[in-house]
Amino acid sequence: MSEFFSSLRLLKRMNWLMLAVILGLIVIGVFFIYSATAMREDSTADLFRKQMVWAAAGLGCYLVTAMTDYRRLRDVSWGLYAMGLILLVAVLFFGTRIYGAKRWLMFLGIGVQPSEIGKLAVIILGACLLSPLAEKYARLLPMWKLYALAGVPMLLVMKEPDLGSALVFLPIVTAMLFAAGAPVRPLVTLMAGGALVVVLVLAAVALPERLGMTPEHQEKFFQTIRLSDYQRDRIAVFLHPGKDPMGTGWNKRQSEIAVGSGGLTGKGFLNGTQNILGFLPRTVAPTDFIFSVIAEETGFAGALLVLGLYGILMICGLYAAMVARDKMGRVLCVGIVTMVFTHAFVNVAMTIGVLPVVGIPLPLVSYGGTFMVITLFTLGLIQSVYVRRPGL
Amino acid sequence: MPAGTQTVKSELSRIRLILLIMLALLVLLGGMLFSLQVSRGGEFEESLHRQSMRRIRLPAPRGLILDRHGVSLADNQPCYCLAFYLEEMRKPGKWKYTVAEIQRRISEFALLLGRKPVITEDDIWLHIRRRLPLPLVAWRSLDPAALARLAETSYDMTGVDIYVEPARIYPQNELASHLLGYVGKAELSDDEAAGYQYTLPEMEGKMGLERKFDAVMAGEAGGRLVRIDASGFKHAEQVEREPRAGASVVLAIDNRIQALAESAIRDVPGAVVVVDPGNGDVLALASSPTFNPNQFVPIVPKILWDQFNADPNRPMLNKAVAEVYAPGSIFKPVTALAALNSGAVSAGMTVDCPGYYMIGKKTMKCWNPNGHGRVDLRRAIEQSCNVYFATIGVKCGNDAISDLAALFGMGSKTGIELDREAPGLVPTPEWKTKAWHDDWRIGDTCNFSIGQGALAVTPLQMALMAAALANSGTVYRPRLVTGLRDWQGATLTNFPSVKVRQLPLAPSVMEAVRQGMHDVVMAPTGTGRRAGIPGVEMAGKTGTAEYGKKEDRKKHGWMIVFAPYDKPRYAVAMVVDDAVSGGLTVGPRVRELMLGIFGRGPASESEAGG
Repeated sequence: MSEFFSSLRLLKRMNWLMLAVILGLIVIGVFFIYSATAMREDSTADLFRKQMVWAAAGLGCYLVTAMTDYRRLRDVSWGLYAMGLILLVAVLFFGTRIYGAKRWLMFLGIGVQPSEIGKLAVIILGACLLSPLAEKYARLLPMWKLYALAGVPMLLVMKEPDLGSALVFLPIVTAMLFAAGAPVRPLVTLMAGGALVVVLVLAAVALPERLGMTPEHQEKFFQTIRLSDYQRDRIAVFLHPGKDPMGTGWNKRQSEIAVGSGGLTGKGFLNGTQNILGFLPRTVAPTDFIFSVIAEETGFAGALLVLGLYGILMICGLYAAMVARDKMGRVLCVGIVTMVFTHAFVNVAMTIGVLPVVGIPLPLVSYGGTFMVITLFTLGLIQSVYVRRPGL
Repeated sequence: MPAGTQTVKSELSRIRLILLIMLALLVLLGGMLFSLQVSRGGEFEESLHRQSMRRIRLPAPRGLILDRHGVSLADNQPCYCLAFYLEEMRKPGKWKYTVAEIQRRISEFALLLGRKPVITEDDIWLHIRRRLPLPLVAWRSLDPAALARLAETSYDMTGVDIYVEPARIYPQNELASHLLGYVGKAELSDDEAAGYQYTLPEMEGKMGLERKFDAVMAGEAGGRLVRIDASGFKHAEQVEREPRAGASVVLAIDNRIQALAESAIRDVPGAVVVVDPGNGDVLALASSPTFNPNQFVPIVPKILWDQFNADPNRPMLNKAVAEVYAPGSIFKPVTALAALNSGAVSAGMTVDCPGYYMIGKKTMKCWNPNGHGRVDLRRAIEQSCNVYFATIGVKCGNDAISDLAALFGMGSKTGIELDREAPGLVPTPEWKTKAWHDDWRIGDTCNFSIGQGALAVTPLQMALMAAALANSGTVYRPRLVTGLRDWQGATLTNFPSVKVRQLPLAPSVMEAVRQGMHDVVMAPTGTGRRAGIPGVEMAGKTGTAEYGKKEDRKKHGWMIVFAPYDKPRYAVAMVVDDAVSGGLTVGPRVRELMLGIFGRGPASESEAGG
């Protein structure tokens, strides 16, 4: 009991700015989910209410995590990792198929994306393995072992298929290794290698047509390099935006128009025409494309505010890393911040059309129940590190 | 532990570097946002403006179907609908108040018009979400009484309008229904709907000529631009492109003869085809029983559809082109021509008919059990003597007959502008080996010679055969559609009549057979004498073919005729189910048809014809 009260006291040492930023992003999210669904009077019209319930649940989680000592994660890291793998395998068999990909597991009517749990498990396991207590092990642990550990869930996610989510593993692991003091040269080599792979994939999609291959040859070529139709479509849309205005490219184009027409100060809350008239598909407006609703209705000013809030969140998170009492805390914070940052960056970048459309939501803002809870749980870990910082 | 501190310091600087990279990337995003929203903002503003113009697809008036004299067989008529413009009925506050109001108004008007409401609450919601600027049609096809009541009512008419939709109508009801087919609600392909946010109901041909010539009659849809504000309300309208009316299809069908043909078989399942032997024009093409295409527009009622499908007489089937029959004795002229032409038989040769014919040990009966005695070709045709035709068939061989039958067009589609045409079958030894794994025997040749066995023909093929016999050997492709006209009636296209081939027959051979056919109708003992009408010299041939199961044998009665004998203008083939015989059952029906066709008397007809 006394332990409980001491951890309650610890909460007073919490990074209040960070909590404020998180609350701010959630509130913005709820408002624009309302805006994205306001013209509808069907069951989706109260998405914003559901989002508030989820946020409340998530914030409860957040406080509990913040109070719990992150060092206890050592005992559960392998177990969590194993659970992540099991769920990722399970989703391949029992997952709900949406648009040709199995990404969701349904538990009692609640959808869970195992890829989120996989990322969290890899971050926690990585932080434990790279911490000083495991220093002996860490020295023996060449970098590629952590990559290999991250590679298994990553490949499973790719298999769903969810290329976008799978690629998020790479920056997370790389940043954690870098922060843990891994030698720079192999890391840079690996990153360059990764970049090369991306370039090669893009080239593989774009070149066969450019080189004038016959459709049959192209088909064969794609089969040999194992790129599925939907992956090709999405990458191809990214490369030729005007190619298919009513098909796969529609969301991207409409999102660009929505963001672009927002101007400096936007059209005002509830007045985004792209959103209201349903040019932005209503299924994605409150989820993956929430940022374009915000950018349309509040303009550059509002969009910049959101980016700024993320910036402060990154600063707070990495500040927690710097003041952490041990290496595990440092690496854990770096991993979590990188994950949240990558999600936010990729989501905004795809909204404004500079990255291909991948199914990555905007953390804390997009509609999505379990994603919200997991994100808040993860951010709670940062507070857990922060409140246990040495001093005072 | 200086080394440890050193490590921590280097790790801290690495974290700082990570933070710097992240912030730099956020700034980069901010820069791109600035360029997209502020620097290039106007560009998107414009495409947004363009996008708030919604395009509505306007269906074009559908082309008509006309008979050879310009009488319309398929027409358009205005269909009056009571429609609500929801935007004008908008109540303040949530949409549900408006929906309740609309429901109230609908039940109010239901009382006034005496019709049940067909619009449900879900329909209203759907309309609000998908098609708000378009009128919501509450009732279709209002009758004049309902329109009058609407005109006199003191009801609040805000947002209520009488809305006119084009509807297809078949003014002659059942007439030529198998040819015309019917239209139904069109399902637009993605290509057609591309670029339009809204579409109005359109129709497309589902059967017959409506379907075959759908592309021609449909015309080109136009577009209307509607400007919509952020809440989906209509601001201004402009017609962007007028729809282009479809072309009208002109048929070779003669409205009057078609009606006569249908009337001749109105009470029995069967088919009649009348063609012009001079050019292959299809003057009438009837199938019985028939249906009224007006009952099928705009949607086919399910009860009716099931009922038609369950009917053993298959009213939806165009028996004139899609059904095959054994021709029976009307095929005998072909046997005769083949035999004479082969040189194996001369017109003067006689055969003694004792009433049966021996094929090895089996006997084949003639229809007259007492026998016809000694008959020559002319008499054999007039009396339809089976023994004679079996004899000459065996003499000239089945190949000569099947070759000539194929030249007459049997065994292949005639190419008429209708779907589901059956090719029929001309049996050959090769065919029998393949289909039955059996050899061709003399008995097959005998059966074939009298038009029985596997030989299968359509009534249209028989009419064309009659036409070729009438015009002394020219086989035409049937011409059902003679041309296309535009909306004002100006000719767009004429389809010329097509001569398929000239039969390789000597004129004397043809003349001998024609004389026999002349006697069939004109001689007092001819099997087809009941078809004769006063004042017109005709030629023809009757036929009776058995069908159905052994215990329930029925007969198809056939007759072909052409008239006038010297300068034939009409060639007719008629088939009737469950007949006593061609002469008894079909003869009087052909007579009724010919009386009608020559109704004004042959003299005045020829004067009118010049």
